[in-house]
Amino acid sequence: MLDILTAILIAGLTTGALYALATVGLSLVWGSMGMLNMAHAAMLTLGGYSAFTLCTVLGLPVIVGFAGAILVGAVAGGLLYVLIVRNLLKTDKATFESNVMIATVGIGIALENAILLTYGGQPLKQPISATGSFILGPVSLPYQNMLIVLVVIALMAVIALLLGRTRMGRAIRATAQNREAAQLMGVAVNSVYFQVLVLSGAIAGICGVMVSSMTQLSPPLGNDPMLKAFIMCVVAGLGNLPGAVAAAFGLALLEAFVQYVAGARWGFPTLLFVVIAVLIWRPAGLFGRVQIRRM
Amino acid sequence: MSASTQPPVLSLSNVVSGYKGLQVLKGISFDIAAGDFVTVVGPNGHGKSTLLKTISGLVPLTSGAIRINGEPAPGKPHAVAGLGVAHVPQGDMLFPEMNVLENLLMGAYLAPSKAEIDRRLDEVYTLLPKLSDRRDQVASSLSGGERRMVGIGRGLMMGGQILLIDEPSLGLAPLIIEQIYGVITELSRSGRTILLVEENPARVADLADHLHLLDDGIIVWSGPPAELLARDELLATYLGG
Repeated sequence: MLDILTAILIAGLTTGALYALATVGLSLVWGSMGMLNMAHAAMLTLGGYSAFTLCTVLGLPVIVGFAGAILVGAVAGGLLYVLIVRNLLKTDKATFESNVMIATVGIGIALENAILLTYGGQPLKQPISATGSFILGPVSLPYQNMLIVLVVIALMAVIALLLGRTRMGRAIRATAQNREAAQLMGVAVNSVYFQVLVLSGAIAGICGVMVSSMTQLSPPLGNDPMLKAFIMCVVAGLGNLPGAVAAAFGLALLEAFVQYVAGARWGFPTLLFVVIAVLIWRPAGLFGRVQIRRM
Repeated sequence: MSASTQPPVLSLSNVVSGYKGLQVLKGISFDIAAGDFVTVVGPNGHGKSTLLKTISGLVPLTSGAIRINGEPAPGKPHAVAGLGVAHVPQGDMLFPEMNVLENLLMGAYLAPSKAEIDRRLDEVYTLLPKLSDRRDQVASSLSGGERRMVGIGRGLMMGGQILLIDEPSLGLAPLIIEQIYGVITELSRSGRTILLVEENPARVADLADHLHLLDDGIIVWSGPPAELLARDELLATYLGG
C-alpha cells in the first residue's frame, strides 16, 4: 500500500511541478498584461530543443545547455514583445486581448513548424536528465523526478522573491493591479511588459527542458503541458500566481490518483470536469480576484 | 500662500485634449508659479479631471503646449512623474492587493536612495499618522477616507514639488473632508505647488491663491476665490448656486 501511495505521490508531485512551471509563465503574462500567450507552448518546445542542440549537437556541457534553454526562451519572449505585442498594445484593451491571442496562435504554429522542419518529426532524447533512483526502504525515488521538483521549488522561490522583494517585482505587481496608477508613480509599463515576457520566456525554456527530460523531444512537446496549464490557470483564477501553483499541484495529484484508480484515460476528463464545476461554482476561479471594498 | 510673481513651474498654453474623437478640453491656458495654490472648479463632466490627466500624460495632448519648469512636458505619465509632478487621482487608484506601506513605497518608485525613501516615509507618517497604524492593512479593505489619505501619502512619497489633486472631498463624510483639507493646508504651507480640482469653491476659499472656473472645456472665469463667491450670478450659472 505504501509503495502505491508513494508512486501516486511522486507522479502527482512531479507532474504538478511541471504544470506549475508551465502555469506560472502563462499566469504571469495574463496577470500583468491581460494577454493570453498562445505561443507559450512553442516557446517551451524551443527551450527543450535549444538544450538538445547545445548538448547533443554541439557537445557542450549540460549546464551550458540548461543556461542556453533559459536564454533562448528569454530572447523569444523579448522578440515576441518587440515585434508583435508592442504594436498591438497601441489598440484598446478589448481589441488587444483578442488580437494578441490570434497573433500568438499564428506565432506558435509557425515556431512549431520551424522546429519540425529543422529537427524532423522523430522523437529525440533530451540530454539533460538524471538516471537512477534513491532507494529508501520499500520506496524508490527516481532522481529525475527529484530533480524536477527541486528545480521547480527553487525557481518558485526565486520568482516569489523577485515579485515580492525587488523594485522590478513591485513594478510588475503594481502594473497588474492598476496600470494607470503605476504609470503615475513613474513605472514605464512598456518596459514592465517587456520584462514580463522575457521572464515568462525564460520560465518556458526551463519548463521545456524539464518536460522533455520526462518524455522525449518532439515538435508538439509543449501542447499538452500548455493545455493543462490553461486548465490550472482557469481553476485558480487567471492571473493569480500563488493560486496557479496550488491548483497545479492539487490537480496533478488528483489526476495521478484518478489515473491509478480508474485508468490513465480518465485523468484528463477529470480535469475538465473540475474546470466546469469550478467555473459554475466560482466563475472567477478558486483564487480569482474578488475585491473586498469597504464603503 | 505666495503671490504669483515667480516664473511658472507649470504652464498651459491653449491645451486641447480628449478621448477618441471626443474633445473635452477646448483651449486651456494658465500659469502656476512655485508655491502657488491654484484650484479649478466647475460642474461634473466638464473637463476638470481630464485637465489633470492631460498634465500628467494619462490623456494625450491633441494640440497646445504644457511646460513643466520651463521644459515641454514629455507626454508619457512615467516621464512626467520623473519631473516631480505627483498626480493624486480621483477615486484613489490604489494598488488594491498591496498593503498601505507597499502602496506608499510605490510612490517612491523613482526615489534615488533608501535614505530618501525613509525620509519621505517619516514625513508622510508625521503628516498622516493613521497610515503608520494601518501600514500592514491591505488597501482594498480600507475605508474611503483612509484610501484618500493613502492616495495623498503616496503622492507625497513621490517627492515632487508639484501636486495635482483631483477632488479630494469626493464621496467623503464632512469630518473626513475637514481632515483631508487640513493635510492639504499643511502641504501648501510647506511650499509645494498645488493644482487642485474641486466642485465646491467654498471649500478652498481660505486656501487657494487663485481659482479658475471651468465649463464645457474652457475657462470662463479666473480670479481670487473670494471674488467668485461674491458673484452670485456666476455661482448660479455654472455651479448651481
